[in-house]
Amino acid sequence: MSAAQAPRSLFGGQICREARRRAARCPHRSFSSTTRYTQQQPPPSRNPQDAPGTTHFGFETVPESAKEQKVAGVFSSVAGSYDAMNDFMSLGIHRLWKDHFVRNLNPGRNPLTSSPSSPQGWNILDIAGGTGDIAFRMLDHASTINNDAHTKVTVADINPDMLAEGRKRALATPYARSPRLNFIEANAEKLDMIPDNSVDLYTVAFGIRNFTHKDVALREAYRVLKPGGVFACLEFSKVNNALFDTVYKRWSFSAIPLIGQLVAGDRDSYQYLVESIERFPSQTEFRDMIKDAGFLVPGQGWEDLSLGIAAIHKGVKPAAPK
Amino acid sequence: MSTAPRLSTPVLRSLRIFSRRAVYWGQRSCYHSYEHPQPPPFPPAESAILSAALSHVPNHGFTSTALKLGAQDAGYLDVSTNLLPRGVFDLVNYHLVTQRLALRHAVQFPAEGQPGRPGVGAKVRALTLARLRANGPILHRWQEALAIMAQPSYVPASLAELARLADEIWFLAGDTTVDFNWYTKRASLSAIYSASEVYMTQDTSANYVETEQFLDTRLADVMRMGSMLSGVGQWVDYTGHSAVNVLRSKGVRI
Repeated sequence: MSAAQAPRSLFGGQICREARRRAARCPHRSFSSTTRYTQQQPPPSRNPQDAPGTTHFGFETVPESAKEQKVAGVFSSVAGSYDAMNDFMSLGIHRLWKDHFVRNLNPGRNPLTSSPSSPQGWNILDIAGGTGDIAFRMLDHASTINNDAHTKVTVADINPDMLAEGRKRALATPYARSPRLNFIEANAEKLDMIPDNSVDLYTVAFGIRNFTHKDVALREAYRVLKPGGVFACLEFSKVNNALFDTVYKRWSFSAIPLIGQLVAGDRDSYQYLVESIERFPSQTEFRDMIKDAGFLVPGQGWEDLSLGIAAIHKGVKPAAPK
Repeated sequence: MSTAPRLSTPVLRSLRIFSRRAVYWGQRSCYHSYEHPQPPPFPPAESAILSAALSHVPNHGFTSTALKLGAQDAGYLDVSTNLLPRGVFDLVNYHLVTQRLALRHAVQFPAEGQPGRPGVGAKVRALTLARLRANGPILHRWQEALAIMAQPSYVPASLAELARLADEIWFLAGDTTVDFNWYTKRASLSAIYSASEVYMTQDTSANYVETEQFLDTRLADVMRMGSMLSGVGQWVDYTGHSAVNVLRSKGVRI
């Protein structure tokens, strides 16, 4: 088979499978469930723990031990086309969200306005930031806006393929060989290499959705943060306008897996993406999870972006013990 | 008959949702209670950072630098200023809220029935002047605060705070109106207060004497306007009644 034929036959095979499933209307739900099917079927119950020791992977219920590998599989397969796909799926808006996220955090310590005795620069930990999207923005903001040449970013990701992508991209930035940027392979639930009370800012952008135990990861974030340190999370959330929600659901369940299939040649991974977005807790639920981990939340606890398609959640570790 | 409750329920529900959204820690007490102590207007951590930041305002203005220095003074980090979702506006708001709440302790009037007890008008003047003077220590930075308050996203919150201030002043002055005047009094006091505040930023006189004069003139204007309006009202009322009576005397059935 020639290389040109391969995607077409893949596409053809997908359509055949789709048609067969539609004809059969069997109750069985596979990972690569089709667009039509997901729209007809209401999402399964919101309770992720359907049985002890299981968790959700998109709309599927899988053993906890399997989720990590499955997520790893998804991200290994999308690493190469990650940026192009994000642009297609969000119509480029994900860049605005990330810019806003970083600008609002205002990383970096301006040497002109801060007292010389205080430590220089921030220690930023970017979890699930394999491709470096957030890390490069943080360093750019610190250097150009706050004239801070000391702020460090540690990019941690569980997936070596995503980290490889980030390292490759770092070569195009001024930070490739500087001590201000380093990459580590780590699971956000077990950050043993990071000491207690050592991080100023813990960020996780579009990553916490994929964690097997979000509460464990939050507690781990609480442990590594200095008192007064900030947990900041940019993540897909719930649209709060019913009409817009209908449009958005149609886009995400019909268009995104299709774009994934056409651009990245991988429908299943993007089907997982939209299902995991649907399964992620709402703004208030996630705010309460952050509070339960011991953080103070600013104001109402989150900021909606694009009517709630994404939301920024923040938590501050209290300085005095409660 | 039966449609009324059905219609009213969604309206009520949306009102309730709206009021629940409007509830924010800073503005939780929406009435004056004599039995219950007021809850603190800000949570402890925010309060610690903001009050420390306010002491840096004379040198650094209403800026994120003042906030960061305040956070450091309070034992927090630079990054902890993320606890304040509206950034410098939260600093301005903190000044507004704390000064409004301080007003009840700042100005004391003689108790009921004692000689030399000022009237409501004099009390309003004294309270407004006290509130204006509370801006004194940071007056050279107050234009920055006005500019921040005038940013479109903060205008509603600033106007709400202005309305709360006007309400507080009329309440402390012992005003007990329950008619339409309730609104006009608060609206006119809000206008006078904000005008005087802007005037004060340019005032270089000793002890803000010129601002005091400005305030007195504006209060007199409102008084004159009020008496003029009531005169016009009386005239319309009298002319209307006479016209009706003239028509009735001509046999028109009105």
